[in-house]
Amino acid sequence: MEAKPPFKYPTAIAFCLTSGFWMMVATFYGLLGATELMAPDLSANLGGIVFGRVRPTHVNLVLFGFVTPGLLGAAFYYLPRLLGTRLYSERLGVLTAVVWNGALVAAVATLAMGMTQGREYAELAWSIDVVIVVAFLLVFFNFMMTVKQREEPILYVSVWYVLAGCILTSCTYILGNVIWRPDSGALVGIPDAILLWFYGHNIFGLLLTPLSAGVAYYVIPRATRNPLYSHTLSLLGFWSLIVVYTHIGTHHLLQVPVPTWLKVVAIVDSIAMVIPVMAFLINIWYTAKGKLGEIHADIGAKFVFTGTIMYFFVSIQGSFMALPDVQRVTHFNNWVVAHAHIGVLGFAGMIALGGLYYTIPKMTGRPLFSRFLADFQYWMVLIGMVGFTIVLTIAGLIQGNAWLNGETVYRVLPEIHVYYVVRAGLGLLIFSSAVLGFYNIVRSVWARSGAPS
Amino acid sequence: MKMTPLAVVVGSVLILATIVFVVIILPYVHTSKTVPSEIFRERSDPEAAGRDLYIANGCVYCHSQSIRSIDWGLGAERIAQAGDYVADYPILLGSQRTGPDLSQAGGEHPDDWHWAHFANPRFTRPLSLMPTFAFLGEPRTEELIRYVQSLGFKDADHRMARQDYWKGKAIAAYEAGPDVNVQWLNENIPQGWRDVPNPYPTTEAGLARGHKIYQDFCIGCHGPVGDGMGPAQPWIYPPPLNFTILKNREISGGILYYQIMNGITGTAMPYFKRELESEKIWDVGNYVAVYFINQSDANAEPRGIDAAYEP
Repeated sequence: MEAKPPFKYPTAIAFCLTSGFWMMVATFYGLLGATELMAPDLSANLGGIVFGRVRPTHVNLVLFGFVTPGLLGAAFYYLPRLLGTRLYSERLGVLTAVVWNGALVAAVATLAMGMTQGREYAELAWSIDVVIVVAFLLVFFNFMMTVKQREEPILYVSVWYVLAGCILTSCTYILGNVIWRPDSGALVGIPDAILLWFYGHNIFGLLLTPLSAGVAYYVIPRATRNPLYSHTLSLLGFWSLIVVYTHIGTHHLLQVPVPTWLKVVAIVDSIAMVIPVMAFLINIWYTAKGKLGEIHADIGAKFVFTGTIMYFFVSIQGSFMALPDVQRVTHFNNWVVAHAHIGVLGFAGMIALGGLYYTIPKMTGRPLFSRFLADFQYWMVLIGMVGFTIVLTIAGLIQGNAWLNGETVYRVLPEIHVYYVVRAGLGLLIFSSAVLGFYNIVRSVWARSGAPS
Repeated sequence: MKMTPLAVVVGSVLILATIVFVVIILPYVHTSKTVPSEIFRERSDPEAAGRDLYIANGCVYCHSQSIRSIDWGLGAERIAQAGDYVADYPILLGSQRTGPDLSQAGGEHPDDWHWAHFANPRFTRPLSLMPTFAFLGEPRTEELIRYVQSLGFKDADHRMARQDYWKGKAIAAYEAGPDVNVQWLNENIPQGWRDVPNPYPTTEAGLARGHKIYQDFCIGCHGPVGDGMGPAQPWIYPPPLNFTILKNREISGGILYYQIMNGITGTAMPYFKRELESEKIWDVGNYVAVYFINQSDANAEPRGIDAAYEP
């Protein structure tokens, strides 16, 4: 930015604001969908808010509106800092944020109109797919050029994760959305299912996880003022993540007629996920060893560290869910919804919020507008997320076991109704936390210099 | 290991490319040559248009189309084969079963049931969580019904032909007046069942159970007072049976049991053998007999050996 920049880190701040804003919208859609599951006549005659359109809107906004921009917001701050330089182009960065928000607005509008490709995580229409790929490539280009002009010769582990996450997601997004077939964005039959779940799982494996790991590797050593525990574990965690995570998508298809050897690969590698997960976690946790007081004292680090604990739970659970005997119970029901919420809200979402709250004060040079609000949000998100996990896991176990024993889907509905009611209540908690969070972020960014309120 | 930008970017992309080869390209070589299964047929234009509506409205988020070897419910007579999906573009396996699997939904119900169901799912299924689809309007609802009725391909066609055949008979009987209609309904029940009275005595607890079952399964069509004027009635033809005219028409407990268990193909009356165990069917049948028909043969002879639990 040539002419007097209002902010020192305009791109990072733009992505942080993007994340905070879309977290509100995304969680509102989640709350709406949850409410429709307990009161199905709510959508009445409004096609635009029918559950089948609300759910993909919620999922896409959480993934691409809240979590990814939040993690990128932190990355746009720490990547130049780790490289001892400035971001290659703040102008391009801000432009990317604008394009990104345009894609999100278009996503909400098209999904509400029923323009969807009908494939989970790959719903968005072709033109929006193209914009998202361009946005990812612009982010990648900006980061690469920043790397090129770096003063610090050694690339820190966070930088590996950010670079790999952006370029690999560009590739898998193109593949998974079958972008060479604009009309449908799909293959035909069983190959479509295999490709879809390869892509779908890699949204977590090659986007959310690397970007979250990048933030954790930055925040935890900084907040604890400890050196990183092990370079070897960093290497092991990074490379094994890319090798192992990319194999496991077919564990979504264990009961579908796909080649058996592919299922075996998916199950074996799902168990092997213990390697990248524990390499990362041991590294982070040993770095934090003896310094939990520092982590507790910093709200950003507190979010991030909690995220790493949730990563442990969601990963171990995920490995077990890939075992066929376990999956006979957990498949097709709310157990999986609980699992997804531990992963995306508990792990990646918590770390995204932690990244925001850790970096925003450093971007603005002022403390957060309200540490209390951020702490309050922490507890709301934590209670909401753990609550989701409990009630949806119970509902899933009821469904899965009832089906295995011959009850019909219809007969089980009243058995899980009460859990849907509690879930909607917890959804209200999460949505409220997002509103508080956005208020806090906005006031932190635009507050007049001086002491916080 | 020195992690240069080149090592990170090129290394990770090369790994990804290798893995794409293994887990996408290799299976594609095999699975893209899948031949159609024996039930497969092409979809008609209205069916394809209905499938687009199914996608646009996100039906896939609650309805799987993926029958597993461990399934019991709707469609479980046939485990999914790769050859069932050869025209699915995209494939709609689904990841949640908030509603039933629809792989074999075609011909499960006649069209009029679906009209009532899309107008408001609770008209036909009082406990349903499904949104109303009245906003689609008539032409698009028709397309959606055509798609649902095609699920299962040739098996669905076979079931639809059966629905159509019996619907003709059911309408003829209904239009000939209540005497003929009831006689026709009774005639189509095996004699053994017609001779069986409800073997269990009428009890307060049994009626309470029957009341609950009636509210959860029957009330949408037959209505709260059993006169066949439930909210689904305007869409359904022949209309739901009015129980209050059945007195002195030789409606035995066995007849009620058989109709609830097996349904009446061709009419909107579904079978409930998957949903309700034996006791629940006897209880709801007796509830209808006591409250709506005002004539129950519960505990009448012949009743065989006394039930062990009776007080």
